[in-house]
Amino acid sequence: MNPNPYLPLPMRIERVTIENDGRDLKTFDLAFINEADRAGFSFIPGQFAFLSIPGVGEAPFGIASAPHEPLLKFTVKRIGVFTTALHELEPGEVIGMRGPWGNSYPFDLMAGKDVVIISGGFSFTTLRATIAHLLHPENRRRYGRIIAIYGARSPGELLYKEEIRVWEQSPDLQLVLCVDRLNRATWPTREGLVPNVLKEVAPQSDNAIALVCGPPVMLKYTHPVLRELGFQPDQVFLSLENRMKCGIGKCGHCNIGPKYVCKDGPVFSYAQLLNLPPEY
Amino acid sequence: MKPRHLNPEELNQLLDHLAQETCVYAPVKDRTGARWERIKSSADVWLQEVNTAEPAKGFIFPRCEIMLKFDPDGNPVEPEPPAELLLFGIRPCDARAIEILKKFFIGEDRTDPYVRARAEKVTLIGVACNRTAPTCFCLGLGGSPHATTGLDLLLVELGTGYLAQPVTEKGEKLVTTFPPAAERDLETARHLRHQAEAEITTRIDTRTLKEKLPAAYDRPVWQQLALNCINCGVCTFLCPTCHCFDITDETVRGKTVRYRVWDSCQFTLYSRHASGHNPRLDPAARYRNRVMDKFYYTVEQIGEISCVGCGRCIHYCPAGIDIRQTVEQISTETEKTKL
Repeated sequence: MNPNPYLPLPMRIERVTIENDGRDLKTFDLAFINEADRAGFSFIPGQFAFLSIPGVGEAPFGIASAPHEPLLKFTVKRIGVFTTALHELEPGEVIGMRGPWGNSYPFDLMAGKDVVIISGGFSFTTLRATIAHLLHPENRRRYGRIIAIYGARSPGELLYKEEIRVWEQSPDLQLVLCVDRLNRATWPTREGLVPNVLKEVAPQSDNAIALVCGPPVMLKYTHPVLRELGFQPDQVFLSLENRMKCGIGKCGHCNIGPKYVCKDGPVFSYAQLLNLPPEY
Repeated sequence: MKPRHLNPEELNQLLDHLAQETCVYAPVKDRTGARWERIKSSADVWLQEVNTAEPAKGFIFPRCEIMLKFDPDGNPVEPEPPAELLLFGIRPCDARAIEILKKFFIGEDRTDPYVRARAEKVTLIGVACNRTAPTCFCLGLGGSPHATTGLDLLLVELGTGYLAQPVTEKGEKLVTTFPPAAERDLETARHLRHQAEAEITTRIDTRTLKEKLPAAYDRPVWQQLALNCINCGVCTFLCPTCHCFDITDETVRGKTVRYRVWDSCQFTLYSRHASGHNPRLDPAARYRNRVMDKFYYTVEQIGEISCVGCGRCIHYCPAGIDIRQTVEQISTETEKTKL
């Protein structure tokens, strides 16, 4: 492993994809430049990494690719100085990456159980990694039913459109797409907010684990529905995104009480969060 | 390890010799007190202040340091390893704070290579406090004006000379040539210790804090406690155990450097998400975070309270906030509602 955790590894941008109508979400597919770096890098969906541009800085992003995929994928919203600089980069250019940091989704716990994935907006990234990982032929049989509810404001704001259209047809998972407003679009077919759609789909909670990632307002209204469906706090896992600088539990920024999102998270069970201050 | 005795001339000679041989920092006289400075000879040293305004944490965790430089192609280049460093005259509270910082940065799971490299190169010669300040409260937090934790060597000024108590082999090597201390010297040192400890009358009762603080999280009393706080961050910057930092890039005349600089949980930007959402938007929430961190969060993280009782945050707070009173008030507040 890299002896200096602050040292970014060089990565080449292989592909840049504009993801949404708002054109503020881009996916960057990265390849390792050094073979030794690639060989020494392994991760589990749910983990994140820092992207680095010399002179601009660093910022953390969830890894959107699955471990078996050849390129490392990050989907980034243009929102500040760093992400604006990143959005200006083109294929062939080199950026830095350090990680992977954090824990992951609880794959050991999910084994043999149904997996209910609930996501809203552009937080779908690490859950896209999770779905791709679960669907991999070597992994699929280890899990029960996979039910994914993924919502966005409008059809044009859904990420990874080509891929999710394929997943919609797959017998290996039940993918429910929804948007706040359809606006005469023909795809997807469902209009509604994620918590309401979850109520309609009503996945059963027996022997199931729910993975939730989305904006705070979605989380707020999703928990009561999960509770109604019988999900206990230790069956629900959330991925959090506090501000952070180091990624290794040193800089202090991302603390929630005595826990650090970067080191002890970013994935926490709802049961864990009930015992922590609501500082996320 | 055998305690030794040095007369004042011998100590001066030792310091002069060390200052020639290696990089020695010590408290020197300042306009308002004492500050850490590199010394050329023993004559530069000023130990009349109870403590320096800034703690010694900067020697292993500098206020600003270069993490990486980038060459013209954008490849990161790591800085040169740090040189040997000797700190003379560090007080026991600050030495213990360095021990606590090492626990944060040099953990079992992930180690900070910059702090580790500096910590490995530093030798700490402490001077015991025979006098204390009204803001000192190391007793009760596991410290003492004559404690040796974190030090390589502790010197106790006896009036007629110095008692040198080696703590590590590194410290012992420095004083092997001096005669062993007499029983009388040890007796004097013990007496001075009792005298200094007796001066510290305000204490924090830490025994029940671990239960009381989590229970106090939602109390409205935080608003009242933090009312005067202007979130200036001086308590965090001068705290010998506060270790938060920011990482930032700067390009000057074509040269790009990635720096690490101290940061403070008292600032609103500290916890603000990219989305604009801020989990600690309320100034009282930020003040609470600092108190909780010192007396509860770090107990969970590294197994001990990370306040050493140096008193700097009390002495230098522009709003007159006293952390001893805060802890006291939180304790009584939780007691109250239990009844």
